[in-house]
Amino acid sequence: MSLLAVANKDFQDTVRSRGMVLLVALFSLLVAVFAYVVRPQGQAEQFATELLLSSFVGPVLVTGLVPLVGVVVGYNAVSGERESGSLKLLLSLPHSRADVVFGKVIGRGAALALATFAGFLLPALVLIVVPVTFNAGAFLGYTVFAATLGVVFVAIAVGCSAAVATRQRALIAGIGVYALFVLLWGLFTGRVVGAFSGPIEALPVSMAQIRTFLDAANPTSGIELLANAFLGDQLFAGESVDRQISAVAMLVFWTLAPPLAGLLKFERDDL
Amino acid sequence: MTAIDLRGVTKEFPGVTAVRDLDLTVEEGEVYGFLGPNGAGKSTTIDMVLDLVRPSEGTVTVLGHDATADSVEIRRRTGVLPDGFSVYDRLSGRRHVEFAIESKEVDVEPEPVLERVGLLEDADRKAGGYSKGMRQRLALAMALVGDPDLLILDEPSSGLDPAGVKDMREIVAAEADRGATVFFSSHVLAQVEAVCDRVGILREGELVAEDSIEGLREAVGDGETLEVTVDDATDAVVDAVRAVEGVSRVDADGDTLLVSCDPGVKTRVIAAAEDAGAVVDDFHTEEASLEDLFLAYTEGEGTPRRHGDAATEEVDA
Repeated sequence: MSLLAVANKDFQDTVRSRGMVLLVALFSLLVAVFAYVVRPQGQAEQFATELLLSSFVGPVLVTGLVPLVGVVVGYNAVSGERESGSLKLLLSLPHSRADVVFGKVIGRGAALALATFAGFLLPALVLIVVPVTFNAGAFLGYTVFAATLGVVFVAIAVGCSAAVATRQRALIAGIGVYALFVLLWGLFTGRVVGAFSGPIEALPVSMAQIRTFLDAANPTSGIELLANAFLGDQLFAGESVDRQISAVAMLVFWTLAPPLAGLLKFERDDL
Repeated sequence: MTAIDLRGVTKEFPGVTAVRDLDLTVEEGEVYGFLGPNGAGKSTTIDMVLDLVRPSEGTVTVLGHDATADSVEIRRRTGVLPDGFSVYDRLSGRRHVEFAIESKEVDVEPEPVLERVGLLEDADRKAGGYSKGMRQRLALAMALVGDPDLLILDEPSSGLDPAGVKDMREIVAAEADRGATVFFSSHVLAQVEAVCDRVGILREGELVAEDSIEGLREAVGDGETLEVTVDDATDAVVDAVRAVEGVSRVDADGDTLLVSCDPGVKTRVIAAAEDAGAVVDDFHTEEASLEDLFLAYTEGEGTPRRHGDAATEEVDA
């Protein structure tokens, strides 16, 4: 199948990149450093895997670093091939442009997921060997959320990549998305909601509802919500279940909509 | 059935018309050489055939399908060696061919085609380390996968050494024998001469000539150049030769007259020279080279004259 042929090719191409290996090494090292920091200090103290993940690894590495890696992996997916000329080779074969865009989302998403697992695996091995109580289930489950977040950002970056003609513009767009979702979301949405407080009051929703929606709309906070619910054994249960479902819906949206929008532009372009 | 059919195709890019009202037909099973200097619009035309670029006006039909609507189906039956492509540096040559096999959904092994283009020994090296010629061979291997009905080769010889050019020519001939249609572009005339059934010459986005090589040769007019060495090339002798019907141009180079003329007027030229009082020491004929022909089409001020309608201003040139 054309889509899978592209995905397979792109996966193999991506995992062979030196940058990918470097990122995995960096990631492993940072997770290991955090694990060392929260290691049990006293005799009786339990090593809390959940604490490590939700308070240290989560806010810094997962919501901060993983989306950035996703952008780096995705931004040159289409624009890079377009600039170098390998896209001519790719489109000399019977692939539709849609297969190219979505094949790349799948191939590079898979490569990033693999890298995330690899990045978490090495610290996990260390934690299993040292004499502390280590919750492997929580650790592994959390990795799935981290990988999912990465895939969402790969999809967004591939969408940007398909929409523009050069690598540079794709990178600018990708960094912009990263800055919006990871660094400026609260500030940005706060301003927007503030500016439209008048019209919003006329709507049949409360400000709190809108803030909740905006929180779930951001893929990083959505993943954070889901991952913390998972670590607290409250996944798709408890009081936040509605918000969790919206978060899942928004993650699906962010995985599909940007590549589709990018494809609309890419379909019409002269290459 | 026609393999490629362009009807009234125009492609405008911002500020430049790359192809202008182009009609072009390539019959199934023929080897068609698409000639023109760099920048004439050859690649844009090929890009429209492959749906990389959409025509501003006109229709492009390939293997009976609309080039834009059915592009994937067209490319399933077409092998393409693009111009100005690059390979996937981190993937091996073999992996490239495997990718072509997966993409075309055919059930073949990569080795035979790698062998055919002479890359089998280097198949497991990363393509990023290949020379320009090897990359060209690799793309050709990918194009040949699945025995396509149509082969489109854009400047196939660029980057190839003479042995590579010869291999390329043999592969083109073998594919044509198999029954494939071959459409290839080149700015080097010598490459098309040996293999092409028909040649089209593109200049500034317009097809200025389309014929067999022999047909083109005739159409250029300067069918032959006659070199006549006389004892004394006086003005009277030159004028006498110029006056001969079928002679389009005479240049005196010392005691040698270079006479551009139709084939078959040789004896009359010599007779005219002798009648004017010259003693002919030596003469021989040269066919107009294809290079002259190509330059006449691509650098002249317009379409070259057909022979017969002699232009007086050129006689004195």
